[in-house]
Amino acid sequence: MGLRRPAATLLALGLAALTPAFAHAQPGVAEERFRGANEAARSGDYPKALSAYAALAASGAESASLYWNWAQSASARGAQGEALWALLRARELDPTDRAVARDVQRVREALNLDPAEIAPEPLAAVGRAARRFRLDLLAASLLLASLLAQVFGRVRPGPRQPGRAAGVLLALGLLAATVPFAASFARPTAAVVRRGAPLFESASPTAEATATLREGEVVPVLEASGDWLRVEDGAGARGWARTADVRRIDAAPSARD
Amino acid sequence: MSPRRAAREPWPFAVALALCLAPVLVFAAPFTLRSEVDARRVGLQDQLQLTLTVEGSGAPDEVPLPPLTNLDVVGGPSQSTQVSIVNGRMSQARSYTYVLRPRAVGRAEVGAARAGDQSAPAIPIDVVAGSVRPREPRGQDRFGQDPFGQDPFGDPFEAMLGRRRGRAVEPKLLMEAVPSRTRLHVGEPLVLTYVLFTQVSIADLQLKDAPQYAGFWAEDLERPQQQGQAATLGGEAFTRFALLRKLLFPTKAGALTLPPASFRIGLARQGFFDAGGAVERATKPVTITVDPLPDAPGFSGAVGRFEVSGALDRQTVPLGEAATLRFRVSGTGNLKWIEHGPEVVARGAKVYPPQVKTDLRATAEGIEGSRTWEFVVVPETTGTVEIPALSFSWFDPAAGRVVSRQTPPLSLRVEGGTSAAGVPALPGAAGARVATGALPLRSQLDPHAGSPLLLSGRALAGLAAIVVLLHGILLLAGRARGLSRGTPRPGGGASSRSARSALRELERAGQAGLSKEQAAVLVEKALHEAFGEIADEDDGERARAVRALLDEVRFVRYAPQLGDYSDKIRDLAARGRETVRKWA
Repeated sequence: MGLRRPAATLLALGLAALTPAFAHAQPGVAEERFRGANEAARSGDYPKALSAYAALAASGAESASLYWNWAQSASARGAQGEALWALLRARELDPTDRAVARDVQRVREALNLDPAEIAPEPLAAVGRAARRFRLDLLAASLLLASLLAQVFGRVRPGPRQPGRAAGVLLALGLLAATVPFAASFARPTAAVVRRGAPLFESASPTAEATATLREGEVVPVLEASGDWLRVEDGAGARGWARTADVRRIDAAPSARD
Repeated sequence: MSPRRAAREPWPFAVALALCLAPVLVFAAPFTLRSEVDARRVGLQDQLQLTLTVEGSGAPDEVPLPPLTNLDVVGGPSQSTQVSIVNGRMSQARSYTYVLRPRAVGRAEVGAARAGDQSAPAIPIDVVAGSVRPREPRGQDRFGQDPFGQDPFGDPFEAMLGRRRGRAVEPKLLMEAVPSRTRLHVGEPLVLTYVLFTQVSIADLQLKDAPQYAGFWAEDLERPQQQGQAATLGGEAFTRFALLRKLLFPTKAGALTLPPASFRIGLARQGFFDAGGAVERATKPVTITVDPLPDAPGFSGAVGRFEVSGALDRQTVPLGEAATLRFRVSGTGNLKWIEHGPEVVARGAKVYPPQVKTDLRATAEGIEGSRTWEFVVVPETTGTVEIPALSFSWFDPAAGRVVSRQTPPLSLRVEGGTSAAGVPALPGAAGARVATGALPLRSQLDPHAGSPLLLSGRALAGLAAIVVLLHGILLLAGRARGLSRGTPRPGGGASSRSARSALRELERAGQAGLSKEQAAVLVEKALHEAFGEIADEDDGERARAVRALLDEVRFVRYAPQLGDYSDKIRDLAARGRETVRKWA
C-alpha cells in the first residue's frame, strides 16, 4: 500500500525526536571537576568552589545538583542573592526537585522577599509545570499517534471508524501542546545576585545610576546587550544592569559571568 | 481565750485557726481574678473605668477583655504591677485598666471575665442620658490621676499646705544586682539576681528601665521564691527579697558590663497620716570578665556538660526504604546555640540533611535538655551500610578543656529488593541528596535529572500545525477518492462510506420479507452506489462482473412470478456483497 511508507517514516521521525530525552551520557570529566568543587566547598574555600561550579555550568555540564551545591556554597559565603539565583536556576532545570523548591523559600525568607518578588512572570510557572509533567513529550506523542491512527484508518478501512480515535488523539495532543506553547511567551527573567546592584539609565559604565535593585529580587529581562541586561524592577523602574549583578535564570551563565 | 492565755497555750488556738483556714487553703486557686468598674450608673457622655486584676503566683501573663454590651473601648489597657511585701511575705498583683464609653441609653454590661480557670462575674451598668459624673478639676487627667490623691484617710495638712508632706525619715531600701559569678568563659551561664533590701513595707515595685545586656544572650528564669530573708547590711537589719532572675550567656570575650537597672518602688503607708510614697532605686553596674574559648579542631562551640548518643531506628531495612539515624546531645550548657550536627557520610547510602528536634529549658545551671539531629539514610545497595562513629566536642568549664565524645559505629543491614524501588519520599526532611558536613552538598552531578523541554513551545506549535495539516490532507484525499468513486469512472472504486452503505443494503436484500422486486431494486441500487454507472466500453474484469450481476438482478426483477425466488435473491445479495468487498 502506498500509505504505509509515510506512516513508517512518521513513526521513525517521532522516535528519532524522542530518543535524545532518554539518552544518558556517561559521567566523566565533569563529574571529576564537580567532586573537586565539592571538596573545595567542604574545606571552606568557597571562592574556589564557586569558580569551579561556574566553569562547569559554562561548559554545559548543568544540572540541578550543580546549582544546588553552588547555592549552598554561596549561602555559606553570605551571598544570599547568588544562592537564590542558583536555586532558581536549579528549579528551572528540574522542577520536580522538592529540596530545591524548599530551599528557594528558605533563602527567599532569609532575604526578606515576598513570594511575588521572585515570581514576576506567571507564565514561567506554566513553563515549569510543562517541564515537570513532560507535556512536550506527551503532546508530541499524542499528535503523532493521531496521525498514525488516521493513516491506519486509510490503510485498513472497515466498519470501525479509526478517524474518530484519530480526532480524539489530535484534540488531546493540541490541548497538551497548548501549555508549553503558552509558556513560550513568558519573558525571560533574571535574579539580582549582588546587594545594592545599581540600575543604570543606559548600558554604559559611565551612565547614571537611577535606582538600586534588591538582592534576590527576580526581574523580567526586557532586552540584552553584551554584558548588560535591560530589566524592570518590582517598582516598575526600567533600566540597565550588569550581568555580573543580575543573572538570567532561563539560561546558563556564560564564562564571563 | 484571752490573748495572754493564747500566748501561753498556743496549740489550741493554732489548731482552730488551721481548721478555719484549711478549706480556704485546699480550695485556693493559685491566683485570683477580679473584674471591677468605677461606676455602675453612667451618663451617655461619661466614661467608666474597667479594671481586671489578677493576683497570685500562678497568674497568667494575659487577661482577655470580657465581652462588652453597649460599650466601646476608648482607652487602655494600661497595665500596672504591684508587689506588696507585708510581714515578710511578698505578693504580686497585675491590673489591666480599660476606659469604656457607653453607646446608647439603656442597659450595658461588662461580661464575665475569664483567665485560666478563674472567672469573674458579669457587671451590669445603667446608662442614662447626659452626664451623671461630677465635673473634674481642670487640667487633671482622671485616668492618669494618683489614686492616693483623693484618699479620705490622707493627711489633712497636705490639702491645706498644697503639697505632700513626705516622710520624716527617708526609708531605707536599696536594690542590688547580684551575679552568680564574675569570671567565666564565653558560653558559660551566669545567673543575675536583682535583690531588694528593705526595712519598710513595699506596696508596689516596677522595673523603670529594662536593662539591655550587650554582649550577653539573656534568658528569663522562673520567679524566685517570694519569702523574705533576714539580712544585715552595714550593721543594720534588712529583709532581703530576690525579685528577678536572668540567665545570661556571654557571647564574646573581654570585660563586659551589666548595666544598671532602675526600679520604682511604691511604699506602703506607715500610719494614719502617712500617704505612702514612691522612691526610685537603681542597681550598680557589674563588670564580668569573660575568658575566650580555646580553639580546637572540631570544636562545636558548645559549653557545658553533655552526653552524646547515636542510634538507628531499625537494624535491617529493605532496599529502597529509609532508616533514621538519631544523634542526640543532652546535658546542661549553651545547647541552644548549637545548630550544626555532625558530618554523616555513609558509603553505599544517601544521607539527607537532618531535622533538628529540641527539648530545652532554662535553669539556673544553664540551658538543660537535649537536641537531636535526625538523618534519613537511604541505602543504595544491598549488604551492610556502615555508619561511622559520630563525634561531638564541647568545652567543659570544670575541666577547663575541650572534651570530645564519639558514638559507637553503627551497621545497617540492607536486604534484597529491587533498586527500581527508588528513593522514597522524604519524611519532611530538607532534601539534599547527600549531607557532607555543614554544607548539604550533593555528591553526584546528575546532569540529566529533570531535562528541560525537548520541544520548545513554538516547535511544538509547529509540529501541531504540521500534524493538523497532514490530517487535513488525508481527509481531503479520502473524500476526493470517495467522490471519484461515486461517479461513473472506469476502474474506479467507491468511497469507504459508499461501500459500507452498499454492504448494508445488500444485507437487507438478502433477508426474508421482501418481494423479489423490492429485493432486486435494493441489490441494483447497492451496486450502483458502490460502483456507479459501468460504462459500456469498460471491458475490465470488474466491469464484467458487475454487469453480469446487474443483468441477473434485472432478470429476477422483471421475471414473472412463477415460483419462489428467495433463494435466487439471497444468492444475488451474497454475490453482490462479495463483489463490493472485492472491487469497491
